[in-house]
Amino acid sequence: MTPLISITGLTKTLKGQGEPRTILAGADLTLHSGESIAILGRSGSGKSTLLSLIGLFDRADGGQYLLNGNDITRIPERKAAALRSEEFGFVFQRFFLLKHLSAVQNVSMALVNGQGWLPRRKRKAKAMEALERVGIGHLAKHKPPRLSGGEQQRVAIARALVRDPKILLADEPTGALDTETGNLVVEALRSATDRGCGLILVTHDHDHAAKMGKVMQLTNGVFENSNQRVVV
Amino acid sequence: MIRLSGRFRSSLIIGGQGIRARKMRTFLSMISLFLGVLAVVTVQAGSVIAQRALLSDIEISQGKDGTLQMYLPSNPQAVPITMDLIQGREDVAGVTTGKAIIGEPGVKPINEGGGPLDGNGGAYRGPMMTCDASGQCRELEDPNEGAPSGQAIELSMKAVTGDILQFRPFRLESGDWLDSSSTPSLSPRIVLNTKAAEGFAKYKIPAEMRVEGALANTTPRIIGVVNDGSWGPAAYIRSDELLNWMPVDSLSDPRYGGSMELMLAPSTTADLQQTLKSRLTAAGMNPDELHVRTINSLKEMQSQLSLMRWIFLGMAALVLLIGVAGILNVGLATVGERIEEFALRRAVGTPRLLLAGIVLAETLLTGLLTAAAAIGFGAAALKAVSMVLGSREPFLQNVAFPWEAGVAGVLAGLIAGILGGLIPAIRAARIPIATVMRA
Ligand SMILES: Nc1ncnc2c1ncn2[C@@H]1O[C@H](COP(=O)(O)OP(=O)(O)OP(=O)(O)O)[C@@H](O)[C@H]1O
Ligand SMILES: [Mg+2]
Repeated sequence: MTPLISITGLTKTLKGQGEPRTILAGADLTLHSGESIAILGRSGSGKSTLLSLIGLFDRADGGQYLLNGNDITRIPERKAAALRSEEFGFVFQRFFLLKHLSAVQNVSMALVNGQGWLPRRKRKAKAMEALERVGIGHLAKHKPPRLSGGEQQRVAIARALVRDPKILLADEPTGALDTETGNLVVEALRSATDRGCGLILVTHDHDHAAKMGKVMQLTNGVFENSNQRVVV
Repeated sequence: MIRLSGRFRSSLIIGGQGIRARKMRTFLSMISLFLGVLAVVTVQAGSVIAQRALLSDIEISQGKDGTLQMYLPSNPQAVPITMDLIQGREDVAGVTTGKAIIGEPGVKPINEGGGPLDGNGGAYRGPMMTCDASGQCRELEDPNEGAPSGQAIELSMKAVTGDILQFRPFRLESGDWLDSSSTPSLSPRIVLNTKAAEGFAKYKIPAEMRVEGALANTTPRIIGVVNDGSWGPAAYIRSDELLNWMPVDSLSDPRYGGSMELMLAPSTTADLQQTLKSRLTAAGMNPDELHVRTINSLKEMQSQLSLMRWIFLGMAALVLLIGVAGILNVGLATVGERIEEFALRRAVGTPRLLLAGIVLAETLLTGLLTAAAAIGFGAAALKAVSMVLGSREPFLQNVAFPWEAGVAGVLAGLIAGILGGLIPAIRAARIPIATVMRA
């Protein structure tokens, strides 16, 4: 079976103010449908950078990136935008909710992106369904400032799920939450894999990582013990 | 097709959300732009109206541009020769100016000398003079010497040959203009100008007409009133009807103020001018006095007016610039705030060009809405002014909002929108998602 994602030898060099630095030095990763992967690593090891390459926010300098078997290593921005819309759902440490929109509007904004069109009623139905899935349907009309951190993050997860993505990318989604709320959020993400979604979770929390099917350790831009189960 | 309309509808929603999220700021930036556009609209409307008012009066009193104009010398022969030559020609008209007194017989007119009737008669009261071509002037004997004062008005009597309206589009205020197609009537029909008509209404003048140089006094039939743009009272009469009462050489008799103005259409052939000149010269007139000038007053006026308009537009543009700066300021300030929104929208798949387009469209829409509001306000204000002041200032009556002002306003809004939206739009398209969304 073709994996959702197949990455080999991915490299990325970033130049900030100073010398160009190699952040990724040949990362390999394979993700299948319904599979969940946790990525652990010290701060600055390149986890967010890798996720931004996978999510097509940015392009790699070298290596190869196959999505559903298609080489998209050097995909142009216009097609990348379409793929972000069709294939991916994103959850970030900061929730990135639009504070002037209600919860349900924050979810349906992912359906208003110029890629295809759904009438208002269908958008609302889908957004409500996604909110129900993460257990906060009753908060649909609330605006973000009136929601707790955990609730806001679940609105963000609903926004990531509303287009039924094939791949969920989450960058430290529990970083700003307490343990208990974090558990709720991780469970909401993991349950998406039951429906065949692939999940990549970047985290510093070993308990959360242990709930994923596979844990990978990123050190100095490469994965250690690739494809090995880390037992904590 | 579906894809396109989906894009378009998405843009409307995203743009609408953007504007609604910043109602107050949008409103504030609109105010300064509103004032700027209003300034442009006001200047433009004002200059167009002023120009219209001035130019239409100029056409009436000076003649349409391109008209060839010729004043015949004061010579008893001049008028008969000319009348004979232009008889029946459609492209030439002639007017002789003489004096007439209408009112009680045998009295001194209220405005002796034919001056304006408003105010205290406003008339020139010194001795009447006449000058000949050599520059020698002599005093005329006062024809009303010793007469008692009474209800009568002195006016210039303009005898018309041919269709003068093609050169001077007088505005008919009431009644009819002289009908030159019928046979001349023995009871002369006259058309008053507005100044004369006002005088008649004001002083309740009985109607007997004393035309200087005429063989008998006659009762005129006033058939209409026109605005001819002149300051003093005047009456127009068909020259052939006047000639029933007056020998033709009196028309050019300097004692009666007689002079003839000839107006020729631009298309008039040179040989008419040639024939006229040679016949007048043959009759003993000085060829140097026979020159034809082309009326150009409209063009001259326009260039002066447009200079003024540019100066005012420059000032208005300055005000507009402040408005644009306001929108630009808000646009740039919000881009900073909205970086995360833009990055998020791109992360969920909004194409960057679409996003830039939306950001541009938001300010463009704000600009155009503001312009529309300012234009609407300007038009309404103009209407109000014309209704309130129209009775006092005739040129403000029934003024339509000039379309030029509308165009200027829309352009101003458009420019403000583009200037204020372009930079934010470019920045929105360039946002590196990875950097913004990194944890
Ligand atoms: N735009 C950039 N230009 C230059 N260097 C950058 C840029 N963004 C990140 N870096 C550097 O790249 C390295 C990897 O950053 P990255 O955010 O991927 O780390 P991370 O593993 O996600 O860390 P954390 O766990 O703290 O989120 C860091 O050392 C960072 O300083
Ligand atoms: Mg990170």
